[in-house]
Amino acid sequence: MTTKIVLNARKTAANLSEEALYDVLRAPLITEKATMLSERNQVVFKVALGATKPQIKTAVEKLFDVKVAGVSTLVQKGKTKRVKGRPGRRSDIKKAYVQLVEGQSIDLTAKLG
Amino acid sequence: MQVTPTLNEGLKRSFTVVVPSADLQARCDARLAEVARDVRLPGFRPGKVPASVVRQRYGQSVRAEAMEKLVQESVDKLLTEQNIRPAGQPTVNLVSAAEDGKDLEFTLEMEILPEIEIPDMSGLKLTRLVSKVADDVVEKALADVARRNRTFETIEEDRPAAQGDVLAVDFVGKINGEAFDGGSAEDVNVEIGGEGFIPGFSEQMEGMKVGDERTIAVTFPADYQAAEFAGKEATFDLKAKALKRAVDPAIDDELAKSLGLENLEQVRKIISEQAEGEYTQLSRMRIKRDLLDALAEKINFEAPENMVNAEFNQIWARIEEERKADRLDEKDSAKDEETLRQEYRKIAERRVKLGLLLSEIGRKQEIQVSREELMGAMQQEARRYPGQEQMVFEYFTKNPQAIESLRGPLLENKVVDYLIELAEVTEKEVTPEELADMPEAAD
Repeated sequence: MTTKIVLNARKTAANLSEEALYDVLRAPLITEKATMLSERNQVVFKVALGATKPQIKTAVEKLFDVKVAGVSTLVQKGKTKRVKGRPGRRSDIKKAYVQLVEGQSIDLTAKLG
Repeated sequence: MQVTPTLNEGLKRSFTVVVPSADLQARCDARLAEVARDVRLPGFRPGKVPASVVRQRYGQSVRAEAMEKLVQESVDKLLTEQNIRPAGQPTVNLVSAAEDGKDLEFTLEMEILPEIEIPDMSGLKLTRLVSKVADDVVEKALADVARRNRTFETIEEDRPAAQGDVLAVDFVGKINGEAFDGGSAEDVNVEIGGEGFIPGFSEQMEGMKVGDERTIAVTFPADYQAAEFAGKEATFDLKAKALKRAVDPAIDDELAKSLGLENLEQVRKIISEQAEGEYTQLSRMRIKRDLLDALAEKINFEAPENMVNAEFNQIWARIEEERKADRLDEKDSAKDEETLRQEYRKIAERRVKLGLLLSEIGRKQEIQVSREELMGAMQQEARRYPGQEQMVFEYFTKNPQAIESLRGPLLENKVVDYLIELAEVTEKEVTPEELADMPEAAD
């Protein structure tokens, strides 16, 4: 049963349309940590909150034409901030750490085609 | 840095300069490291931004900046090494911008200042024209002063006003039957047949008696200073109020006192001093002209073309402007474009050459313009705009380059003084008219 679901998830991810791929990846995350990780062939993205790991994997593979070895994700909860005394909440961010297969690389400065 | 001279002809020089890309690279890296220390980027602690990220963000601008600096420095170095004094700014043309390991290559074009040989000035003979202030000049000026200070005496007898009489009138001026602004006045003293009014105005008043009223018609001259009236016809309703006679005050100490001076002697002195000052100025202009003419003959160097061009363009721009305003003097407007251009080109060349020579002499003799002299010139400049002295001063304090523009003429004058001192000067007495009769200006 479990296997089936995973298979389904992969299948759906593989069938995502071109436009949907662009919706998965929001922006590259460029920070000290991210630049350090690039030495280990990892890239970091901000992704849609609803994006799944398989979706992220296909998106990166298709859009950047690379092979992805694995994806780890996390949701960073938005901080509660007060503006003029009223509580508000910053939006949550989902980050994806994408491990590329050895020998592959992504130039994050280049514009996506 | 590798320099290849490509042209050495007359005053023109050009070079091709190649700077190895390593030089540029080193500079870029140094500059980037500097930038990295201060740069603040979200996601990075200050000063911890990795070199690669800094390069990505600032690489291009740093590179352009470094390249510009490198070019500037190489040019300076080239000029000092080869001992070249350029006339004006050298032109730099990039042949290949250093990119990805390619060497930076540029060409440099300029004109150099000519070798200026100061001609032997000893034995130069100059004539200083001198004029004495003649007595009759002073007397005439005195009479003028008296006329300006004349008073009016009422004549009691009842007779028609004749030529030379003065009538006090009220008048109302009308154009097309309507009184116009500034066309009416009361109790104005008008000399019959005198000047200063609209032509025909005072003449038509002849024969009026006190108490008479008369309407006269005049036409404003086409070149009347108030443009809205020029050429218009107007009528004036006149009313004569009093018949008067103009009396010139006697030329005596009394007149001097009314002018705020002590006695007549003092007035005479001031007048003659003024005239003398005028004469000295004229005579100085003449001797300077002669000196410059003499210098121009001795000049044996070529003037750098771009300087001549710059000077010529300036002159030409003025000419064009005058032509547009139709103020070109007759002789010039009679000539066709080509001759005119050539003439002014020659003048420009002469000016540049003389300027170069004079500044060279100044440099050799270490003639300098002191601060006090500059201040003096500034004050003089300020005096030309009465009432706005403060603004002029402010302008100068705010624009140091404006002060520099005063320095040029001052230096020129000092050098001219120096040369006149060197020269053998003979004095020659002439009449004021001869003195004022300048030969046609060539510069």
